[in-house]
Amino acid sequence: MAALKGVSLSAEAGDFIALMGPSGCGKSTLLHLLGGMDHPTRGSVVLDGVALDSLSQEELARLRRRSVGFVFQFFNLLPTLTVSENVALPLMLDGASAAYGRERASDLLDRVGLGARAAHFPAELSGGEMQRAAVARAIIAEPRLVLADEPTGNLDSENGRQVMNLLADLNRTLGVTIILATHSEEAASYARRVLRLRDGTIERITEHEDVLQTL
Amino acid sequence: MKTYFKLFRQFILRAIARDRARSVITVLGISLGVGVMLAIRLANATSLDAFRAATESIAGETSVQITGATGHFDEMMLSRMEWLRRYGQPSPVITGYARAESGEFLQVMGVDILRDRGLRRYRLLRLNADESEPTARRFLLLLTDPESIILTEKFARPRGLEIGSRISLTMGDARREFTVRGLLLDEGPARALDGNFALMDIAAAQWAFNRLGRLDRLDIKLAPGLDADQIEAEIAARLPAGLQVARPEEQYGQVERMIAAFHFNLNALGSIALLVGLFLIYNTVSISVITRREEVGTLRALGTSRSMVLALFLGEALLMAIIGAGVGIGLGRLMASAAVLATSTTVETFYIATVATESASRHSVGLLEVLLAFGVALPLALFAAAVPALEASRVRPVEAMRGAERLAESFKPSRKYLIVSAALFALGYALSRMDAMNGLPVPGYLAALALMFGGAFLAPNALWLACRASRKLAARSFRGLQVEGLLASANLGGAIPRVSISVAALAVSLGMMIAISIMIGSFRETVSYWVDQTLKADIYARPLVRTRATGEGDIAERSIAAIKADPDVAAIDSFTSHQAVYQGNPITMGAGDFDVLLAHGRLAFKSPADARSRLKQSIGRDAVVVSESFSLRFKKQPGDRVEMETEAGAREFEVAAVYYDYSNNRGIAVMDRATYERHFGRAQPGSLSIYLRPGADAEAVKERLARSIGSEHMLLFRTNASVRREVIRIFDSTFAITYALEAIAITVAGLGVLSTLIALILERRRELSVLNFLGATRGRIRRMIVIEAVLIGTVSQAIGILTGVMLSLVLAYVINVQSFGWTIQYHLPVAFLIQSSLLILAVTALAGLYPAARALKINALRFVREE
Repeated sequence: MAALKGVSLSAEAGDFIALMGPSGCGKSTLLHLLGGMDHPTRGSVVLDGVALDSLSQEELARLRRRSVGFVFQFFNLLPTLTVSENVALPLMLDGASAAYGRERASDLLDRVGLGARAAHFPAELSGGEMQRAAVARAIIAEPRLVLADEPTGNLDSENGRQVMNLLADLNRTLGVTIILATHSEEAASYARRVLRLRDGTIERITEHEDVLQTL
Repeated sequence: MKTYFKLFRQFILRAIARDRARSVITVLGISLGVGVMLAIRLANATSLDAFRAATESIAGETSVQITGATGHFDEMMLSRMEWLRRYGQPSPVITGYARAESGEFLQVMGVDILRDRGLRRYRLLRLNADESEPTARRFLLLLTDPESIILTEKFARPRGLEIGSRISLTMGDARREFTVRGLLLDEGPARALDGNFALMDIAAAQWAFNRLGRLDRLDIKLAPGLDADQIEAEIAARLPAGLQVARPEEQYGQVERMIAAFHFNLNALGSIALLVGLFLIYNTVSISVITRREEVGTLRALGTSRSMVLALFLGEALLMAIIGAGVGIGLGRLMASAAVLATSTTVETFYIATVATESASRHSVGLLEVLLAFGVALPLALFAAAVPALEASRVRPVEAMRGAERLAESFKPSRKYLIVSAALFALGYALSRMDAMNGLPVPGYLAALALMFGGAFLAPNALWLACRASRKLAARSFRGLQVEGLLASANLGGAIPRVSISVAALAVSLGMMIAISIMIGSFRETVSYWVDQTLKADIYARPLVRTRATGEGDIAERSIAAIKADPDVAAIDSFTSHQAVYQGNPITMGAGDFDVLLAHGRLAFKSPADARSRLKQSIGRDAVVVSESFSLRFKKQPGDRVEMETEAGAREFEVAAVYYDYSNNRGIAVMDRATYERHFGRAQPGSLSIYLRPGADAEAVKERLARSIGSEHMLLFRTNASVRREVIRIFDSTFAITYALEAIAITVAGLGVLSTLIALILERRRELSVLNFLGATRGRIRRMIVIEAVLIGTVSQAIGILTGVMLSLVLAYVINVQSFGWTIQYHLPVAFLIQSSLLILAVTALAGLYPAARALKINALRFVREE
């Protein structure tokens, strides 16, 4: 059985798209396809003019380091690394020095309001703080695309709002394309376009003229 | 119970089948442990059983034996022992060894057939169906010819020998021809030594072994109804001086004592192998629990009790232990033959060597061995599995359904571990200062154990330090490795509670390997120094075949005269020895030409300072020089007196000096030849040290000597250089078994790192998936895991070196002295330590590759979505 069938979606640079739908409708699968973590059995995913299925494993890994940032429902910070090390990880995986990574992480952590928590370990942070750190990690390599899979799914509404504001701010100020999978109407309301999926197909597309208007 | 087996089948058996490779490694580990343990036990039992069986079948119905102080006595003494007939039937005996041209050894027994048939059963092969059992008269006729010999059917048949065939045997330094006059059926003495037995008339045997007028023993079968203990005491009271009475079975006690220390040591080594099995079980069950937390949670949620979960995982360990022990029994039987060979060489008693090697292959595994294998493996398996199984039973249904509790972010081990380490090291030191118990180095081994555990308790703190250091180092290393280094040290640092046990186990196994290598290295250095210092003669000669265990009295006068006549020979120091008993223990009594030794040779003396002048003074006096092992075993120092049995009864001798000797661990007491002959009668030497005139070519003289003594006498001449080579060769081959140990230690290190890392990787599936999402390349993930492997290897090796060096000091200065009576000059093989460390690092790095491959196969999409 196919998780997605006949899905056709194109996003411009600076887009903010929300994928909605019941569990198992294919939201996460679509995100994984977009991030080069999975291959479609038919059809193709093209990022910046490059068809992902033409890339080798190593090239896909480089793509994820440089052009794609991931935010997960369960934060997925590495528990044995400090917050600063976690945030700097994508840069270091791309060959940057530890010192440079620390410096950039420090800037970003200030920006997400976690400057004082840089040397802490993830377990010492609240859920909201962990997710903000995870967002900082997703954008440290200045990717063109951030894929967020239920980023507020494990947060209370206040922390959820904070994280969504952060993503919207990044989208607006840095022009990062954000594709979000969510069950939350509130989170989806930050997006300019909302795609509703059901049984692996796009059921409906809603356009928001102005994100901030809906708030 | 029914539910248990159902669950066990579905939950455990299927998982074992799914993860075949790991299950097989674990089972092999256990079987190796059980195998080594059983092999040592079997080898032990084999040598003793074989010795006992051979002695018993040769002893026949002998109740008591009369022997001389030197191992033989004048046959004229028989006339003074006519009164013995009152107790039963006495039969004089000559025994010795002969070498067939094919290289096999035969035990030859010379008896007076007419007298001896009452003691032993001989049945000759009937030549055809109607031939009846030969009468004593016919038996006697067979032996009237001094060249007659009777072989066993078992020996003769495969070699194509028949009645009437000629056979050439080398006895001592002489080659002799015999005619086969009869074939013995597989019964009585013929069963001894697997058929390598020959029977002769006593007079012919005296002639063949060059022991005219001498007897080795008098065997007596007591008349029915007599009490052996009481008669033994009565005989002892009446025997002429220089003769002793003993029961044949008393020899076992001596042999047992002689090899007890050696086997004790082997057993201690074998226990490492078991430790390995224990560690593998711990790891396997841990992995099983880690990978199946959610399933356990589900089972718990569905109403399975904690005790059922505990029982399931314990059952897994038990199953592997049962299979492992079963395979181990077979393995042990195979390894026993090899172990017997190694044991016999070291025990260096020709008699046991021959007997044991020949019967090792026949020794079967008894019920006792089976019980032992399971009795040791099963409780140990349960013990090893207890920690992870308890962990599984404590899994809360909710917790597991939602996913496992993550590892602690940063783990700082308690200082308590360091205090325990320090206390154990102190205990080890205290134990190492204690004396041996009953001649066994028990406190020494307890000290070794304390040191090993002390080292093991260092693991958590050492790992923590290493992870911190490598984290810092990683930040400063070149950029290509910074992130891998950081991740590897962070990962390990977070997993210290789990990794510590593996590191401790590896460190212990490496420590043992290092200790034993240092000990053997030092021993080798010591022996080669000793050989350098003491082997001063230019040529050494001994008979081609040693007719007895100690090689006593075999070089014919004619041969010595021929050697002396050579113009290049300056002096000969002839050495005579016999096996004696001192304070119930077998020792070697020897005689040498002290004046020749003083003029030409050299002995490495331990004490006193003026040993050479003491040696000079002891010529002509009742004085002996004793080997270090004698001095240590019997606590005798220069100036002390020792009482020895001589031909004229017990006599006291003064200990003149103690010398270093590594050729014999039973203890040697040597006196000047004149003193020896005064007390023990005239005896032919068993070996010669030949000193040449300056400028003589040893090789050429050796060739000439071999020619001049003729072909009838077979002496083995060796030049100084070849003897030195031979000593080192024997040394190396004796200790070859320890290389197997080294290989085991390194294999274990590799397997240990491998299974530990697999466990860690399974535990970190989510983190690895995240790295994948973040764009970590396969190469980086692989390098990260290899760095973790190397870190584990480094910490284990560091603790291993520390404990290994301490352990080697205990081995060299405590255990070795207590079990063998040898002082070893301690020598720290720096090159070896560096080389072994590099090897361990290479092996552990290689061992990291498989877990890395496993890590790369993880389905990242599945795990990032789990909490």
